[in-house]
Amino acid sequence: MTLGPSALLPLPVAIPLVFCAVMLATAHLLPGRLPDILATLAALSVAILSGMIAVHAADGPLVYWFGGWEPRDGVHLGIGFGVDAASGWIAAFIGVLYVLTFIFAWGFFDRTHGHFHILMLLFLAAMIGFCFTRDMFNLFVWFEVMSVAAFALTAYHLEKSALSGAINFTVINSLAGFLMLGGIGLIYAQTGSLDFEGIASAVGRGGRDPVVAGAFCLVATALMIKGAIVPFQFWLADAHAVAPSPVSVIFSGAMVSLGLFGLAKVSAVVFAGSDQVQHALPTLLEGLGSITAILGGWMALLQRHMKRMLAFSTISHAGIMLTALGALSPAGTGGMLVYVVGHGLVKGALFMIAGILLATRASIDEIALRGLGRGIGPAGFAMTLAGLLLCGLPIGVLDQGTRLVQGALWHQERWIALAAGAIGAGLTGAAVLRATGRIFLGLGPDPGDEGGAPSEDEREKANRPLWVMLGPCCVLLAFDVGLPASLIANATPEAASAFMHQPSVSAKAEGPAWLPWISVALALAGAGYGLFRTRLPKLVIRPLRATQSVPTRALELLHSGLIGDYAAWLAIGVALIASILAVS
Amino acid sequence: MSVVSNILPYAVAVWLFGAGLYGIATSRNLIHLVGCLGVCQSATYVLLLGLGYRWGSIAPIFYDHPPGTPAVDPVMQALVLTDIVVGATLTALLLVLTIQVYKRSGSLDPEKLRPMRARQGSDRAEGSDRGHDGKRTVL
Repeated sequence: MTLGPSALLPLPVAIPLVFCAVMLATAHLLPGRLPDILATLAALSVAILSGMIAVHAADGPLVYWFGGWEPRDGVHLGIGFGVDAASGWIAAFIGVLYVLTFIFAWGFFDRTHGHFHILMLLFLAAMIGFCFTRDMFNLFVWFEVMSVAAFALTAYHLEKSALSGAINFTVINSLAGFLMLGGIGLIYAQTGSLDFEGIASAVGRGGRDPVVAGAFCLVATALMIKGAIVPFQFWLADAHAVAPSPVSVIFSGAMVSLGLFGLAKVSAVVFAGSDQVQHALPTLLEGLGSITAILGGWMALLQRHMKRMLAFSTISHAGIMLTALGALSPAGTGGMLVYVVGHGLVKGALFMIAGILLATRASIDEIALRGLGRGIGPAGFAMTLAGLLLCGLPIGVLDQGTRLVQGALWHQERWIALAAGAIGAGLTGAAVLRATGRIFLGLGPDPGDEGGAPSEDEREKANRPLWVMLGPCCVLLAFDVGLPASLIANATPEAASAFMHQPSVSAKAEGPAWLPWISVALALAGAGYGLFRTRLPKLVIRPLRATQSVPTRALELLHSGLIGDYAAWLAIGVALIASILAVS
Repeated sequence: MSVVSNILPYAVAVWLFGAGLYGIATSRNLIHLVGCLGVCQSATYVLLLGLGYRWGSIAPIFYDHPPGTPAVDPVMQALVLTDIVVGATLTALLLVLTIQVYKRSGSLDPEKLRPMRARQGSDRAEGSDRGHDGKRTVL
């Protein structure tokens, strides 16, 4: 085997794993802040290597076969990594997010013996492996490693609410793993291969086949559970709200969208040859995505626990990403990939601000924090900017992704998905801006000494300098705003075509320029209503309150926090996806 | 072989998964719930072994058989082995969490352990609404 750029492929996975092993072996000997430094270095090297791989992959996908087990006569015995430019850039983005998270978490834990960093590096390695692999079973393995690391990180604080959130997360995502494994078994039995390409060619030859559709149903369900799509979204709000802030940054910024990234890859590459699946996908993805976008936005608006509010906004944006996938075009998928990066940057910054409030003001409750943010003005500016970006302010990477997504949907005349996306983004922006106004400006009605937050008192370690926490947050936002738009616009079409294994198409249309402004207007109106409703005339408020209260109560009841309810919804969701596949 | 023996493993797998899911949905005890998760997982074992099985063939060990003898699919067995490892990890982790939950709250009933729920029972979660309601009751 020649040593080309392909030889780099295992390194971004191997380096964090080696750091993990070394740190675990020497955990009790490592002095002071050495784990922080080592972990940051490991993440930095992953980011740089992934960036190099992505640059090389622009000329054509790189492939690496472990142990030199290259396919012979069309039989894939070995396990391979196959990286196109889009996967490489997503991996590089994840690396950058980890670097900034490690800096944000500097000194976050007192006596960890580096266990936090070890788990985080394991998590990182799994995510990169998930991006790079071209083998179905390998995909499952990384999926599970990612899940196990995430479960342990959620429960890291071992507090009551963290534990119950972690149990819900673990049970639902374990079920996802089982479904995925069942699906992989079915597809292997039918096609005799585990390699993406091998399966794809066998599926293309096979024609209409209920086993292939069943396999897709199971694998897609598993990835949608990871991606927190309605009706599988319940675990996310429980887990993200209770995990330590640095972990929430990774969860919302990378893990959830990675589930949808996997779904994009699997449906565009592996099941491309199945007409049944490809016919069902637009209805399925757009229907579920639209519901998710609106439900997530609405729930976000109802929260007073800031991290839970951000978690619901992540659900809403996951729905928007899913509608983009439903366009089944390189334009839509390219937009979705840009959206993943932009959303990760903005949402990561928002979770860091939540962490700053938790550390410096010892509360995460929007009502209790009213007016308390005045001493940390820079965080307020960052949060305002992030809130505006989240709802679609037309600058930066997230906006570019939004435009591409909207363009793809616009040209296919999918009005429902377009409207749902715009409303969802507006509602989440409204929730963030309302919280900003209340916390940093002291706006909104004074609640007096009313009941406590809906969770036990939370604290995160306070004696860290503000700039250590605010710095990474600002860097994330700077990345979102400052990445040159022309660079992304030039690279996206080819990267998306290579990602979907489709011939390259040139002209990429963007959506109408006024559409993002609708979301911004909706966000400002929503935030204004939340803050100033007591000053509005009764004539305006009464009908609004009346329409709000019944669906709101119903939604609150649905998000019961009971693992049994979640399992029941999971069964309903699987049945729904299966029936959509069956009728198409 | 007969239709029954062809269908049976899949029927058993679906039944096991359904039974496990029903158990999880109705469970009132976390340890019971972990057990039900194990039942769900056994469904995947049965499914994978059923898919890889070939009637009238040997185990895929060719030490005392000539190469080319029909054997069951070793890839499926490798998948099942990995699955068992995953299952052991998950069960261990969940049981650790369960112990910690019991230490902190003295209960194993998921009904009593809901994360992030208002202490005031079924109160609406949004604060500003409650602020408004509160004022109204004072008036």
